[in-house]
Amino acid sequence: MAKAQINPEKARWLEVLGVSMPLCLSYIPIGLACGILLHAAGFNFIMILLVSVLVFSGGAQFILASLLTVNSPLSTIFLSLFFLELRYALLGSSLSKYIKQESARFILVFSASMNDENYAINYMKFATDKKWTPDDALLVERYSLAAWSISNMVGGLIGGAISIDLEVVDFALTALFLYMIVMQVQNHLSFVICILASILGVYFLVLTKNTLGLIIATLLASFVGFAVENTVRHHSKDPSNNWFLTKMFRPQITKTTLEDKQAQEKKEIKEAEKLENKIENVVERHDEPKDDTQHHDEG
Amino acid sequence: MEQLLSNKIFYHIIVIILAAIAAFIPRYLPVLFFSTRKIPEWFNEWMKYVPVSLFATLVVKGIFVDSSYNFIAFGHVEQIIAALIVIVIAYFTRSMSISVIAGLVAVWLLSLAL
Repeated sequence: MAKAQINPEKARWLEVLGVSMPLCLSYIPIGLACGILLHAAGFNFIMILLVSVLVFSGGAQFILASLLTVNSPLSTIFLSLFFLELRYALLGSSLSKYIKQESARFILVFSASMNDENYAINYMKFATDKKWTPDDALLVERYSLAAWSISNMVGGLIGGAISIDLEVVDFALTALFLYMIVMQVQNHLSFVICILASILGVYFLVLTKNTLGLIIATLLASFVGFAVENTVRHHSKDPSNNWFLTKMFRPQITKTTLEDKQAQEKKEIKEAEKLENKIENVVERHDEPKDDTQHHDEG
Repeated sequence: MEQLLSNKIFYHIIVIILAAIAAFIPRYLPVLFFSTRKIPEWFNEWMKYVPVSLFATLVVKGIFVDSSYNFIAFGHVEQIIAALIVIVIAYFTRSMSISVIAGLVAVWLLSLAL
């Protein structure tokens, strides 16, 4: 693959480590919080390590901890987690076009350690970086998994040593989701959908008395988003200037940390994504064997 | 006591196995399915709005719905204020760790004050 590069193998893992570093660092506080909560729910640190490697999902582990503390039955635990993790079905299916040609074993290993954050990085890199290979993507997952499970375990260890207000730590999850919402709300329509999902969420949660309400609200709200966007695209004279699809106001950033740069990049990618998707579809139809072995390097 | 402890560990192992299955199936099967087929365009367009909707419902579940699934408007005032702070900080810094830490500090200080 990398004959054109001077020092291919050695440079690669470092380069990928650089790409994953902001993510790994941001996992530390959340992982610590999660470890503390799991410890409070009765897990010892070996169990915490095990669950963070096998589940590898902040949201799911927080909810697991809160379900364990209220002594929920196993069936509720399983179903709640399953419905929460259903979103990975969507993430996975959108990444699958990039890892199609890999072996069955690779797909198994890759999908097992995929989560929201490393998905975001990998999707962004696949969409923009022609040299980004599935192996690099797997490496990002490995780094983030290492950072996540170690900080979980440390959280579990310090959780026993110091006393912490758990209601406060529990808010880490809400803050994490709020951050993701802020990052994802790009145009007016996604903001409207966000409000709609909140209202539907409360309504269906109270109605079903179950986390199933989350799934119903999510599917309905996202379908409305899809339907509105589709209607606008087909019936508006100037879809890109329609109020729904115009960008929300965003401030200029004065600080430029690595995370900021990455988020900036991610935002730019999102804007290019729609266009690119369309182009790709056309390209795929026209020249079928697009380079299906490896992306070659231009030097 | 020994019996109870081993039961607890056994129970936790069962929980972890179930959680791992619940986490693995939604990740693996769709990738497997779509690695041999083409993803329909409308499906992708629909799925684009899923993350933001799901996160929004999870946030309101945390702030406005209590553990027995009743609506509480101002049960967690400190969380409502902290949530607004997180939104503003996330908007300006775009940093995940700064947002989460600021949210934790805010909710901690507010829970002391309120």
